[in-house]
Amino acid sequence: MQHYYSFEKSSIGRFFDLINKIGRVWAPVRVSEASFSFKPVSNHEQVAFEALRTILPPKKLFFSPEETLFRFDENSIHEVSPPSEREVLFGVHPCDLAGLNVMDTIYSAHPQDSHYMKRRSKTLIIGLSCLPDKYCFCESMGTDTPKKGYDLFLTDIGSHYFVQAQTPEGLELIDSCRELFSPADEDQRNRFKQFWIYRSQCFTNKFESDNVPAIVDMEWDNKLWDELGQRCLSCGNCTPVCPTCYCFDIVDISSLDGKSGERKREWDSCQIVSFAKVAGDFNFRPGPVDRLKFWYRHKLHGFDDPYGFPTCVGCGRCTVSCPSGIDDIVGVVLQLQGKRMKEQGAEATKGDSSSC
Amino acid sequence: MLSDLKRIPTIAVYGLTGCAGELLVILENLDKLLPFVKLRSFPFAQSHNEITPVDIALIEGSVSQPHDLEKLKEIRARSRWLVAVGNCAVWGCVQAEGCKRFSLTEMVSSVYGNDSKIAAMESKPLADHVKVDVKLSGCPINASQFLAVVASLLKDNLPYITHKPLCLECKLKENPCVLIEKNLPCLGPVTAAGCGALCPSMGAACYGCWGPCETPQMDAMATVLLEKGFQFDEVLGRLTTFGAPHDLFKRMSEFKTAEN
Repeated sequence: MQHYYSFEKSSIGRFFDLINKIGRVWAPVRVSEASFSFKPVSNHEQVAFEALRTILPPKKLFFSPEETLFRFDENSIHEVSPPSEREVLFGVHPCDLAGLNVMDTIYSAHPQDSHYMKRRSKTLIIGLSCLPDKYCFCESMGTDTPKKGYDLFLTDIGSHYFVQAQTPEGLELIDSCRELFSPADEDQRNRFKQFWIYRSQCFTNKFESDNVPAIVDMEWDNKLWDELGQRCLSCGNCTPVCPTCYCFDIVDISSLDGKSGERKREWDSCQIVSFAKVAGDFNFRPGPVDRLKFWYRHKLHGFDDPYGFPTCVGCGRCTVSCPSGIDDIVGVVLQLQGKRMKEQGAEATKGDSSSC
Repeated sequence: MLSDLKRIPTIAVYGLTGCAGELLVILENLDKLLPFVKLRSFPFAQSHNEITPVDIALIEGSVSQPHDLEKLKEIRARSRWLVAVGNCAVWGCVQAEGCKRFSLTEMVSSVYGNDSKIAAMESKPLADHVKVDVKLSGCPINASQFLAVVASLLKDNLPYITHKPLCLECKLKENPCVLIEKNLPCLGPVTAAGCGALCPSMGAACYGCWGPCETPQMDAMATVLLEKGFQFDEVLGRLTTFGAPHDLFKRMSEFKTAEN
């Protein structure tokens, strides 16, 4: 059962003192005029509370962009274990929590990915509410409320943060500083409910999602894919920024004497031509259209396997990270559904719709 | 395996027409190689050089004069593995495609005078003249990639060299995108990774010095840059400066025709 508390926003400094005692704290930090990144912080003044989406999603803390899996020599193999110190990830929005839940499903399935699981289990996750901008469409994907995957979730209710504690670790944190937290009173619970009603009314970028998986299959030969594919740079920007893209490449690096080496893995992208190249130089997704369509299907339909659920969480990262402007998922879905003509295409979605 | 021959593998390092940037990288990393190889020749770095068969020949620079070509063929004939190192050797760099807009005789006379004895020929990458076993691009090359290539060849394996686009490498470093946020003419989407996204990490546009990635989407890149307001000639100039072959741009000539 969840437990509900609150603390005054003016006490956020004390809250950060508290979580800093647990371990290194990662939070969104502004890195350019338009971009944010989860980075280690030592106090709340470094945190960009206004951040909606970081360049890379929080998966980067658990599934490293590049890491050494093991080292080997002529006689033995030594697994490289991730550091075991506890960490805190602060400021995770509902879409990113949903993304982590997808990653958890993939990487906890047999055989478990020990590196991912070790990093995940040592990290306390603190969610944070947000209001959508014109690129957010988590509501359409059903990922707009925090369901699971957090220890604490903070909702901004004006003067206070409303705190949902979901795990023993989250409750432990609250118990460690009872003078900071009070049980949420009726007025705060009402403001909490009002916030989430208000928030759901703020979405301007949306579609009806019921028939999306079917539509993606039905419109497999839609000429829209060719138009998008012609513009596709195959640069791979859309996949590292996706909270649920989990593919990686493996390389062995040998020492000069050929007697030892290491095996590394780093994020790969299905949008890059070499991804689907197999023996004999055969490529089962040779062109940008094949690759883009494959990615869209995985995001909106899922694979035809036990994990065949849509993996898009509606964060809008791909939309803002595509140099060519073709990852406007909402615009693409509306066109496939026949609800929007091409002329009104991508720019219409990006245009005037204002956020709350 | 070279290491099974119970003799120390031999290497030689040569420069044709280039800036010697790769030779410097190799020189800076020579101490790491020397415990495992015997250096037969490296005219840039030492005065005593032997003309003998070698296991690995590392060649920088493009072929732009007849004596480059003679030297290249002679080295090829006595080398087991021939490695083209750097953009000049792999793609031809500025002196190849980047200079194609000028006539060769005009370039020679304007640079060296009308009565010059310089015997210039159209500058080309090594593989246009001889069989090249390994192509390691860079401007200059990345030392880690270079050492990995040598490590593989010493085991008689062809090395793995990434040809993924720079964008992926850049994104893994979580750099803000200069193409999107600053509207800079960044060539990351069509340029091969390997440099560690040096320029975008400093807020500058990638200008493509590593040469094209595998199957670069040049037309889509041109479309993006033209839509940002860059002129066709500038786009073509940027895309070809570091040796990207003109046949990657078939559809771009249609843009030009449509523009006029």
